[in-house]
Amino acid sequence: MKKLWYSYTKELKLSSKSFYFYVEIIMAVLVIGVVLFLVPENLNQYQTEYVYLDMTEMIEENYRTMMLEHDVDGKIDTAILNLDGTEITTELFITDDSKVYVINNKEDMIALTKADRPYVGASIYYNEEVMDLAYEYYLQGYESDRLKNLYQIIHTEDLNEISLKAQQVEVKSLNDNYVELNSKEFSLPVILTFNGSLMGMFIIAAYIFLDKGEGVIKAYAITASKIWHYLMSKVLVLMTVTLITSTVILLAIMQFKPDYLMFFLLLITSTFTFSTIGLFLSSFYNDMNKAFLAIYVVMMILMLPAITYYLPSWQPTWVTLIPSHNLIQGFKEVITNGDRTYILISSAVYMVVGIVIFVITERRFKKTLTK
Amino acid sequence: MIKVEGLSHSYNKDGKYAIKNVHFEVKKGEIFGFLGPSGAGKSTTQNILTGLLQLQEGSAEVAGYHVDHIESDMFNSIGMSFEQSNVYSKMTAIENLKFYAKLFDCETEDPQHLLDLVGIGDKAKIKVGEFSKGMKHRLTFARSMINKPTLWFLDEPTTGLDPAIAADIKNIIRKKNEEGVTIFLTTHNMFIADELCDRVAFIVDGEIKLIDSPHNLKLQYGDKLVEVTYIKNDKTITESLSTIVEEDKKKLQDIIGTYEIETMHTKEATLEEIFIKVTGRGLA
Repeated sequence: MKKLWYSYTKELKLSSKSFYFYVEIIMAVLVIGVVLFLVPENLNQYQTEYVYLDMTEMIEENYRTMMLEHDVDGKIDTAILNLDGTEITTELFITDDSKVYVINNKEDMIALTKADRPYVGASIYYNEEVMDLAYEYYLQGYESDRLKNLYQIIHTEDLNEISLKAQQVEVKSLNDNYVELNSKEFSLPVILTFNGSLMGMFIIAAYIFLDKGEGVIKAYAITASKIWHYLMSKVLVLMTVTLITSTVILLAIMQFKPDYLMFFLLLITSTFTFSTIGLFLSSFYNDMNKAFLAIYVVMMILMLPAITYYLPSWQPTWVTLIPSHNLIQGFKEVITNGDRTYILISSAVYMVVGIVIFVITERRFKKTLTK
Repeated sequence: MIKVEGLSHSYNKDGKYAIKNVHFEVKKGEIFGFLGPSGAGKSTTQNILTGLLQLQEGSAEVAGYHVDHIESDMFNSIGMSFEQSNVYSKMTAIENLKFYAKLFDCETEDPQHLLDLVGIGDKAKIKVGEFSKGMKHRLTFARSMINKPTLWFLDEPTTGLDPAIAADIKNIIRKKNEEGVTIFLTTHNMFIADELCDRVAFIVDGEIKLIDSPHNLKLQYGDKLVEVTYIKNDKTITESLSTIVEEDKKKLQDIIGTYEIETMHTKEATLEEIFIKVTGRGLA
């Protein structure tokens, strides 16, 4: 173990002098900067709508009164919007979950909706035949059929009937400890997965190819130390750097709110697994560019679960089988102080898988020392 | 110290052998030269013996260890100087040696002493990245001595060095051999092999063609001639005379007794000439 320690301290010293070490540091600083200063606290708190009221003055007045009942401050605000350099004065209603701009001109409403994607536009008029309000929605075009159908039915039911039926349906929360995350916090699981594990795969391969270029692996192999010491020292350096950068990111954004014990456990085991995958892939190549191409493809596949994280409605089974899916979910449990069992099982699986890949990788390195 | 029997190796396992059915033995305290042109199979053999390449066919025993079951303890006894320098360029010379010293379980040399020995003692604290090719080569050579090896693999130890430094390196090799170190020298340089080796093996196309001492090879394959330069009637004359043909022997005695001799030496065949004669191949 002494030799592993010597190799580790040497690797740490060497990596601190390498370009790739600073890539990780700069990445961490950039992430903190972007999340802290550019990502708003609540990214999608309000649904924004541009509305054109095509109705008689009296009905319009009634509509305003109804809107004011839902307005957070009970007052109509005035807002000035910019459309192709022209200032448009509008009335603004702010409810708990939406901002409604009342535009005086239908063309302006459509133009604003078109310019400020992904906002929704609506023209509301009084239908004399049915003696009720009618709605004409303007969507961007990419919305799902489900959403379009929702807009079609939302005003067609008898509101009283909906209200009555709603009273008959009881909704209970299974988890009372549900923690609501703001936009900054919500982005963390994906950031931690990418910064730690996936970047680690790339960086460890870079370290290996720097050594291959200098031929020092061969020199190491002719010592009384073991190849697994050499490989593990690289993994440990990666773990150290990842541990530092990821902890700094988490501290900067969530301070002491997350479960740090679980965080360290999941981070260490997952970094171990993904860095051994990086080692394993690099053992197949003599050329750094070819290895990076392979690692890039693997990284892209491993990033797919990030899409399901942001779009939970898209959750195909094959994506949930990608190892990074569990990692993202695991980090989410960490930052919400959630299911410890999930984190412990995930960490155990990462550890076992990492050990298996590491053993195979060590054998491959022994076979390819002269290449 | 080394015993090799029926060693064969095919890189792609396709029947094309880099070395084929190689047999040889290196005795303790011997300097054994493994000579051949590029691609002959020298490095393949050496890499198998040092565990860098896996054993495929045959058997090999190195410093008492079977190479198909190499234990890391074996490396406490062996050292290897690579043809291509392979040292950490971001570390200083002394840091390189100190680091490698920690990877052995045996008594190690003082790194500064080794740097002094190869003539780069004053560059100990300079980063290797700033070294010339020759200095890196000397550092690689010095590193191979860090664990005081009893079996020393040297791959082209003087290649790329200027003659004065090459002479220093040869002296170090001789001195280590006098101290009892067994040396396995891989080279295509017949002069260094001739100067240093107790026995040499000629390897071509993966097969050993001959193993013997340079002395015996010269006796066996060299022309037994004496080249004499003498002054006769104010003119300098040079003649090559056989030491076997009776007529030439008498003529040589006559010249020595009658004329002023300027130079006289036996004209032995060089190892390179013998290599070409035996293998039909040059060393380029």
